[in-house]
Amino acid sequence: MTDEKETKGAPEKKPKLNLNRVEMPKQSEHERRHNFDEVALGYTWEMAKEEASRCIQCKKRPCQQGCPVNIDIPDFIAALQRENMEEAAKVLKRKTSLPGVCGRVCPQELQCENACTLNKKGAPVAIGRLERFIADWERTQGSATMPEMAPSTGKKVAVVGSGPSGLTVASDLAIFGHQVVLFEALHVAGGVLMYGIPEFRLPKEIVQREVQYVQSLGVDLRLNTVIGINYSLDELLRTDYDAVYLAPGAGLPKFLGVPGENLNMVYSANEFLTRTNLMKAYLYPEYATPIKMGKKVAVIGGGNVAMDAARCAVRLGAQEVYVIYRRTRAEMPARLEEVENAEEEGIQFHFLCNPTAFLSDGRNNVAAMELIRMKLTEPDESGRRRPVPIPGSEYILDVDTVVVSLGTSPNPLIPSTTPDLNVTRWGTVVIDERGRTSKARVWAGGDIVSGGATVISAMGEGRIAAASMHEYLSNGQKKIIPPSPQKDDDKTE
Amino acid sequence: MYPIVDHEVLAPRVHRLRVKAPVVAEKAKPGQFVILIIDQKGERVPFTISDWDTDAGTVDFVFIEVGKTTRQLATLQPGDTLLSFIGPLGRPAEVDHYGHVVSVLSGYGIAAMVPILKALKEKGNTLTTIVQAPDAERLFGQKPLEELSDTVIWALGTKGDGMMESTTVAMRKLLNQHPKRRIDRVIAMCSLCLMRVLSEMTRPYAIKTMVHLTPVMVDGTGMCGACRLSVGRTNRFACVHGPEFDGHEVDGWEVLMARRCTYADESILQQGFQCRGCSQW
Ligand SMILES: Cc1cc2nc3c(=O)[nH]c(=O)nc-3n(C[C@H](O)[C@H](O)[C@H](O)COP(=O)(O)OP(=O)(O)OC[C@H]3O[C@@H](n4cnc5c(N)ncnc54)[C@H](O)[C@@H]3O)c2cc1C
Ligand SMILES: Cc1cc2nc3c(=O)[nH]c(=O)nc-3n(C[C@H](O)[C@H](O)[C@H](O)COP(=O)(O)OP(=O)(O)OC[C@H]3O[C@@H](n4cnc5c(N)ncnc54)[C@H](O)[C@@H]3O)c2cc1C
Ligand code: SF4
Ligand code: FES
Repeated sequence: MTDEKETKGAPEKKPKLNLNRVEMPKQSEHERRHNFDEVALGYTWEMAKEEASRCIQCKKRPCQQGCPVNIDIPDFIAALQRENMEEAAKVLKRKTSLPGVCGRVCPQELQCENACTLNKKGAPVAIGRLERFIADWERTQGSATMPEMAPSTGKKVAVVGSGPSGLTVASDLAIFGHQVVLFEALHVAGGVLMYGIPEFRLPKEIVQREVQYVQSLGVDLRLNTVIGINYSLDELLRTDYDAVYLAPGAGLPKFLGVPGENLNMVYSANEFLTRTNLMKAYLYPEYATPIKMGKKVAVIGGGNVAMDAARCAVRLGAQEVYVIYRRTRAEMPARLEEVENAEEEGIQFHFLCNPTAFLSDGRNNVAAMELIRMKLTEPDESGRRRPVPIPGSEYILDVDTVVVSLGTSPNPLIPSTTPDLNVTRWGTVVIDERGRTSKARVWAGGDIVSGGATVISAMGEGRIAAASMHEYLSNGQKKIIPPSPQKDDDKTE
Repeated sequence: MYPIVDHEVLAPRVHRLRVKAPVVAEKAKPGQFVILIIDQKGERVPFTISDWDTDAGTVDFVFIEVGKTTRQLATLQPGDTLLSFIGPLGRPAEVDHYGHVVSVLSGYGIAAMVPILKALKEKGNTLTTIVQAPDAERLFGQKPLEELSDTVIWALGTKGDGMMESTTVAMRKLLNQHPKRRIDRVIAMCSLCLMRVLSEMTRPYAIKTMVHLTPVMVDGTGMCGACRLSVGRTNRFACVHGPEFDGHEVDGWEVLMARRCTYADESILQQGFQCRGCSQW
């Protein structure tokens, strides 16, 4: 081990840097184009040890500061260096209840790994891969360590939505001793982790393990129950529940609003991914849900959702898959690793263009789309370069399937049935810094607040809200102090 | 799990199931629907609520065997369970005092319209009901319709043909008497093609015509957009903003029908789904 290299107290003795980032083995491009098995295979013990040894244990902990939930990254890596897996897992679990998920789907290159000292030399410690390694070890070898549960407080809480945000709050509050009922509209728990992110990136078994863990803490999971339909938010507050956490995500698909967008074989990414992942259409007819797809598939958008849709299309047997994005590769919001994977899988990227119309084959099936070329403006004050169309540059691309992956906005169901819940003009729920909404006894977090962000931020917001809810519930006072609602119309992006 | 408590065969390939689902029964309103999944490998499939009992906590729906899920449903017996049963989804049908309401039913609509007719009756409307069926043998559910309606017109097809005509002829006769015998509103829960034809028939008379649209659905809560259609030049989701829409405002009938047939390949050619002149075939 490299204990001697620790910079502990030493007067700036430059450690020798190892810049050989250990690659993670993957399924070959040829193979994985034809299956939905996980692409990344994970480190072996030797690889993990070697990669961990590259960490120089910076005193300032820049990586930790780069982490939205402040995971004690140097400590779990140090534990790995000492080959103490149990300890490493414990350190992780202190700040994240979903390490197996985060290690796989976090945009580490923008967070911890971006901040890592070794990134200055272009070879940050592969923190995400190490996190994943530890989580997988715990899942397969370790005995699931049960946290210490506080005695029952007699308080009852409803959590709406079982995505990463809801799962986090449910488990935190259960550990604090509150009785938690977790409501989920769909027939399985997990949110986007189940219906959006594909099996080949995040095996569903891992998500279900996390759900079972949360249930093992005593959380009462009620599937097939839609808040806003089966019970209104007010009903929950009026009847059994002392407090409510809203985490219904941002499930409403956005469309371009161009002619022909409703033609047959034009999908929203949500439909395409839900059929494929949640309903397992890739195993049709063993699973009853079909998915119809042609040979030339265009996916509109440049985020994680677009990458997932495009890579599902490859695996479902499309001959050609195009990603249509109005900016350039550098601006793509998708996780870098997935963009690289997509490129390796033969997906063709069309940058700086945007659809202006979808054209019919005469029988209302999409047969082609009209695109216009775009260019980026000079950076404005905020440094952002906007895409603008180049007049007269329209051209036609033949396609027989389109997946519109422009992102989502919050489903208006709960706000529209709860008049006194403040929302922005984008439909996101307004909260204060502790997760409180404008409505007494109601907290919110995750995509319903951000309008669509990341798994880790959805979890982080859950953590903060859970602490605030616990404080409120522990005060013992029956009288309710409504939080001062702050009208904030310009929130979110 | 949602147990089946009753299964009745109403006509060849037509069944009524009663499911224990108190949470659904508690909030059900006329014209709303459920989405069910039979088992772990099942599809999410929508059915209109045809009756419910809040006290017993049960919900009824009537279905026609057309494909995989409905055939599998037909084999289920009391004691069997469904994996998932979500509802009541969609907006309830609009019900008020209109005067004389003509409704047109076929297929499962013969049963699923009953709660709407009941509510209309309670509001004091006069009801004329046109019931379409391929033939007398495949007709079912006559009794509640006769009890609720002031007039029932049986529009039965003759062998091999004429099913849709039997209805449009009846409708034409009623329209010819308008406004002497005034029609204040039309409600249709039948095949998409027929609802489209009816909407066109009533348009010149400006008689408000409500249609119950059934595009393909996946989640049923506004998440997937599979059920989107253009109504009054705006995009609507049938599962959230519908399934009842003003037929005169639906502007994307052709597209709607094409989308409805995405997964119809063989079943569209079956009796009851076969529409002459359909844009898809
Ligand atoms: C395809 C795709 C790929 C992504 N890839 C990544 C990635 O690689 N990395 C990353 O960090 N982030 C990624 N994201 C974003 C990330 O998944 C989300 O930010 C995160 O899941 C938000 O969590 P949440 O708990 O707020 O909501 P969700 O995960 O959306 O969960 C909300 C849950 O609430 C349920 N619900 C909704 N309304 C109701 C109601 N009325 N009553 C009861 N239940 C309700 C929903 O059914 C759902 O299960 C991706 C998103 C998508 C769609
Ligand atoms: C709001 C709504 C209410 C409905 N109410 C009833 C009802 O009360 N009774 C009844 O018998 N049927 C009803 N339907 C139609 C019913 O959902 C379909 O008949 C059923 O999905 C067929 O499933 P299947 O697997 O047996 O057939 P499949 O082999 O899947 O398909 C057979 C036919 O059904 C159509 N279909 C398939 N899936 C769907 C879907 N998810 N949504 C709509 N159509 C589909 C196909 O286009 C095809 O024409 C309703 C549909 C909607 C959208
Ligand atoms: S910044 Fe990088 S090298 Fe420094 S402690 Fe964190 S992971 Fe290790
Ligand atoms: S069925 Fe998914 S949005 Fe209507």
